[in-house]
Amino acid sequence: MSANTSRQPTGDSDLSSGPGHAAPPADGTPEAAEGATNTKVIDGSGRSAHRFWSSRRIPAALAALLSAAAVGFLLYDVVAVRAGRNALRWRRRLAEELATRPLDDVWMIVGAAVAMALGLWLFLLAVTPGLRRLLPMRRPTGIPGTEDVRAGLDRRAAALVLRDRAMLVPGVQSAQVAVGRRKVKARARAHFRDLEEVRSDLDAELGEAVTSLGLARQPALAVRVRRPKKG
Amino acid sequence: MLKTANRVLLALLGLGLFVLGGGVLLGALDLQRHWDFDVPGWWPFRGPDDVVLGSEGRTRWREEDWWWPTVIAVLAVLLALLLWWLLAQRRHRLDRVLVDSEDGAPARLNGRTLERVIEEEAQALDGVSRAHVRLTGRRTAPTARVRLLLEPHADPARTLRRLSRETLAHARDSAGLDRLPSKVRLREVRHRAERAT
Repeated sequence: MSANTSRQPTGDSDLSSGPGHAAPPADGTPEAAEGATNTKVIDGSGRSAHRFWSSRRIPAALAALLSAAAVGFLLYDVVAVRAGRNALRWRRRLAEELATRPLDDVWMIVGAAVAMALGLWLFLLAVTPGLRRLLPMRRPTGIPGTEDVRAGLDRRAAALVLRDRAMLVPGVQSAQVAVGRRKVKARARAHFRDLEEVRSDLDAELGEAVTSLGLARQPALAVRVRRPKKG
Repeated sequence: MLKTANRVLLALLGLGLFVLGGGVLLGALDLQRHWDFDVPGWWPFRGPDDVVLGSEGRTRWREEDWWWPTVIAVLAVLLALLLWWLLAQRRHRLDRVLVDSEDGAPARLNGRTLERVIEEEAQALDGVSRAHVRLTGRRTAPTARVRLLLEPHADPARTLRRLSRETLAHARDSAGLDRLPSKVRLREVRHRAERAT
């Protein structure tokens, strides 16, 4: 994919090359202009660009449930043995296995590797933000009382908005937009007009659309245009 | 708060598992000899022929008077803490909001009602297909979690602006709150691409 994008490099210099089609929908212009000024304000103050941090409810609930079950069984059995009953079979078996299997037994190695992997995964869950599907949005500025609103836009929703905008460009027959956390990749098929023209129009249209999404962090844009397959 | 607790506990659990697994693996593959480093004297795993928990390790304290009561107490406390951690994961939903009615007597506002009002007002916004609102936090300082499902061709930034400027501001003012911190998630209805005509 990167080879294709480098074959058709996207550049900001192309943004001015689509005057013939530069009539955006009637409501688009003031929004976009406002969005552009907001970007500068926010970027200067560095505020509100935080990512959302997941509260990790599900991993925590699972970990708590499994640990509680293990501790509960052990506690029950210890108390039962103290009360004069025999230990349950699983505990005798476990103690025997732990005491007889040497460390280089295959099962011990596999178990240790699994424990390490699980531990690493839990640790990564604990220190990474998660919620990768949500792109943080800029807070509306200048309106009192709205600083308390934190919003995130689903990446798939952003992709749908951008795809719909791409379909507005004359000549575009179909478009696919993939929104990453830092990069937006748009692929379009144009069935008429010169490919270069369509591409610069798409660049302009999508550049404006990305700005008007109101994201806290402006993703980079890569546009690819091809002819539809014959057949 | 819960976020921090979850993350600290998960990190500790993860580190514990990692160190235990790594220790066993270190002994199993005899890495301290291959890589030529020393392990401290208290290190339990001495080499490939060692075991994780030998019978002398398991029975070392067994004759002491304090051993079994201690084991039982520690396990019981651990079990209680784990159950508390598990129960803390439930999503807590605010049943009522205390409204300062300025005549001395605090009025109570049903949380569900407020949620429904915000939902209906949000759904009336241009471009919103469905809205889902949950109030959490404390009764005197509630916070709102809003999920919006946008219609095709909606403008997310404009919808958010109207939501915060109108819907959430109304809710905040009508409940007599100073602030209503809100988290908003915007998704969009899946739809097919169509050419604008």
